[in-house]
Amino acid sequence: MSHEAPHHVAPGHDAPHYLAARVQRALAEDERTYELGIRVDIRGDQLFLRGQVECDERRRLVAAVAEDTAPGLRVHNEVTVVEVREPGEEEAL
Amino acid sequence: MRIRVAAVGDVHLGEDLRGRYRRRLDGIEERADVLLIAGDLTRHGTPEEGRVVADEFRDLPIPVVTVLGNHDYQSDAEDEIVALLRDAGIRVLQDDSTVIQCGDLRLGVVGGKGFGGGFAGKCASEFGEPQMKAFVRHTREISELWHKALKGLNTEHRVVLSHYSPVKDTLAGEPLEIYPFLGSYLLAEAVDAEGADLFIHGHAHSGVEKGLTPGGVRVRNVALPVLRRAYAVYSLSGEETES
Ligand SMILES: [Fe+2]
Ligand SMILES: [Fe+2]
Repeated sequence: MSHEAPHHVAPGHDAPHYLAARVQRALAEDERTYELGIRVDIRGDQLFLRGQVECDERRRLVAAVAEDTAPGLRVHNEVTVVEVREPGEEEAL
Repeated sequence: MRIRVAAVGDVHLGEDLRGRYRRRLDGIEERADVLLIAGDLTRHGTPEEGRVVADEFRDLPIPVVTVLGNHDYQSDAEDEIVALLRDAGIRVLQDDSTVIQCGDLRLGVVGGKGFGGGFAGKCASEFGEPQMKAFVRHTREISELWHKALKGLNTEHRVVLSHYSPVKDTLAGEPLEIYPFLGSYLLAEAVDAEGADLFIHGHAHSGVEKGLTPGGVRVRNVALPVLRRAYAVYSLSGEETES
């Protein structure tokens, strides 16, 4: 890093908006998760995760990636595991 | 006479789920004549996950036809995954078609992964930067291949199998802002031009099951988180489709 470069203050950089976007991107791109459909909301120091994953382990990993990407925030893991029922009735088309 | 089509998508299998889906397929031959899988077979798109998918769907008593999804491309191993699936007796559509004999009737299945771009009036076009042109061209080329494949089928019934959606109907529940990444009207246009009994897709985990193309072809989003059941079964009967 060059010391001559002017120091830009970027007060908005850690605004919840950008942090939530960063967490969402990490969830999509981190090889532990690769989850594209998780909603991330930040309110104050609370981070909320919503969506569906296939099993408990993947649910746990979603929270782990969020915690790594947004340290210091309290993560509420509201992600649910998809419940798969029996095939059920057929539909006549 | 009717043909019963079982369908599911977005199973996103991996080593952590090995054996779990297979159990749900017990007795499928009593409910359906064919199983169609609408892509996103894996999560990371690795050959290891491809092997789990192949094992999960191999040697079923009914034919299995699949397409890939975007997740299956993540590790640049899509060709290897296709080979693994084919070795396990699973038919993989890549913008082409296959015919399945069901009793006296023949079912033609046309498809591939499809792609995005958005929906009529609110979509990307082949204009501007090369990246933008390439994005839209990819979808256009796919839809042209499907159109051709449908034209070449003279089976009693025709189903289109895709990962991406042809319509907005089945995306309800997804954020509007990501619709262009979930599907393209070009896919519907190709199918409406030739007619089909049913359009099966996945990809939209937060969408809804049922929709309709502008031309009146029934659309079903069979992503597992949408279905919340092992698979859906659609029975095709009545009049033959025009060809
Ligand atoms: Fe998916
Ligand atoms: Fe997908």
